[in-house]
Amino acid sequence: MSALYVLTDVVQCYGDREVLRLPSLAVAEGVILGLAGPNGGGKSTLLRLLAFLETPVAGEIHYRGAPTVGREYALRGEVTCFPQEPYLLKRSVRANVGFGLTARGARDVRDRVEEALTMVGLDPGRFAGRMWHELSGGEVKRVALAARLALRPRVLLLDEPTANLDRDSAELVRRAVVAARERHGTTLVISGHDHAWLRAICDDILWLRDGTLAAPLFADGHAWPETAEQTNTVARNVS
Amino acid sequence: MNYILDGLRQALALLSGGDPETFSAVWTTLVVTLEAMAATLVLGAPAGFFLGYTEFPGKRLIRLVVETFLSFPTVVIGLVVYAFVSRRGPLGEWGLLFTVPGMAVGLTILGLPIVIALTAQAVENLDPRLRPTLLTLGAGPRQVFFATLGEARFGLLLAATAAFGRIFSEIGISMMLGGNIKWSTRTITTAIALETGKGEFATGIALGIVLMIIALAVNMTAAAFRRRSAA
Repeated sequence: MSALYVLTDVVQCYGDREVLRLPSLAVAEGVILGLAGPNGGGKSTLLRLLAFLETPVAGEIHYRGAPTVGREYALRGEVTCFPQEPYLLKRSVRANVGFGLTARGARDVRDRVEEALTMVGLDPGRFAGRMWHELSGGEVKRVALAARLALRPRVLLLDEPTANLDRDSAELVRRAVVAARERHGTTLVISGHDHAWLRAICDDILWLRDGTLAAPLFADGHAWPETAEQTNTVARNVS
Repeated sequence: MNYILDGLRQALALLSGGDPETFSAVWTTLVVTLEAMAATLVLGAPAGFFLGYTEFPGKRLIRLVVETFLSFPTVVIGLVVYAFVSRRGPLGEWGLLFTVPGMAVGLTILGLPIVIALTAQAVENLDPRLRPTLLTLGAGPRQVFFATLGEARFGLLLAATAAFGRIFSEIGISMMLGGNIKWSTRTITTAIALETGKGEFATGIALGIVLMIIALAVNMTAAAFRRRSAA
């Protein structure tokens, strides 16, 4: 496996406040990487950087071996992000799920929309024609996830995908993202507080606290290899 | 009281008989409103989008100016445009004075601040998650622009309805720039003013009825659209 992302001395600040400092991090292609740690630890910031929605104030991000600055629009064609509280466009479910495909000029929009809805456990016949305001909270999240899955991204970044979801919906989300990796080899980076859920699905879990990589506070969090470098953990998968 | 009822009766006769002079004023009103609305929306919606969507130095000053123009007296707009398009004015050679396009120019200036201010407000009030959502779904700058306008469509509709109400029922600008020329630049409102001045209530009432029916139809259509898609 090769390194998909390589981050070097990346620092991100909001105003005067430093929110993230990562001396070195590599993410291998095809892995499922978990991000754990307390709120405000830098998980969402890291995901936004990986999604090319933000540019770091210092440091470099390489994606597939090349620097990313100035190529954000093109790169967002293969990397997509599923936010903590997804937003649906004021349109039908079909238009929401198909938006990205249409924006990218895909031809088989209808089929891929239906495939994506099926992946998240929503019957296209029942749901595709519904308007955005005719959905429950869990359905909104699953429609938003379907909109990302429909793109068949190379990288799917998920920010607390199961927060505020009931158990069945959380399981449907798990199945959908695992299916994305199995079918299309999608690399997944998933943040979350549900450690059992993360452990069940991830190849490796990074702990972020106070904007940097840290060992877990609780022993039952994630088994942290004593010998591993605190940075570069996933680089093991790289070599 | 009788002369009012008589006027109403004669007004209905004028309308049902298709009185050419009455319908000429109605037609001119529709044409000039359509021209002014088209120009107002084409110029005002992108400008309002820019004002509401972006941050730049001087933005607050521009907003203040736009909002001041919201309460600009129409006769002053008429006066300023008159000064520019009259024969001696800098745009005199365009021959706009006392023409329908000339009136449309004045009415566009009346409608622009309304559309700019309300569009800017609608765009500012959009959900902050909209932009990252569009970007992460792979939208380019053009698609972000159109999708954002689409999300603000109820605000845009409100802006358009408000501008329509103002432009459609306007009299000062139409009178000064159009000159109230029969068969040419006479609109519903200028005709009502003239006919009432002459004591011809019937034509005035007939035109007033048409004015209100059209305004009602436009607002009902807008409300129906809002209900259908907002629910």
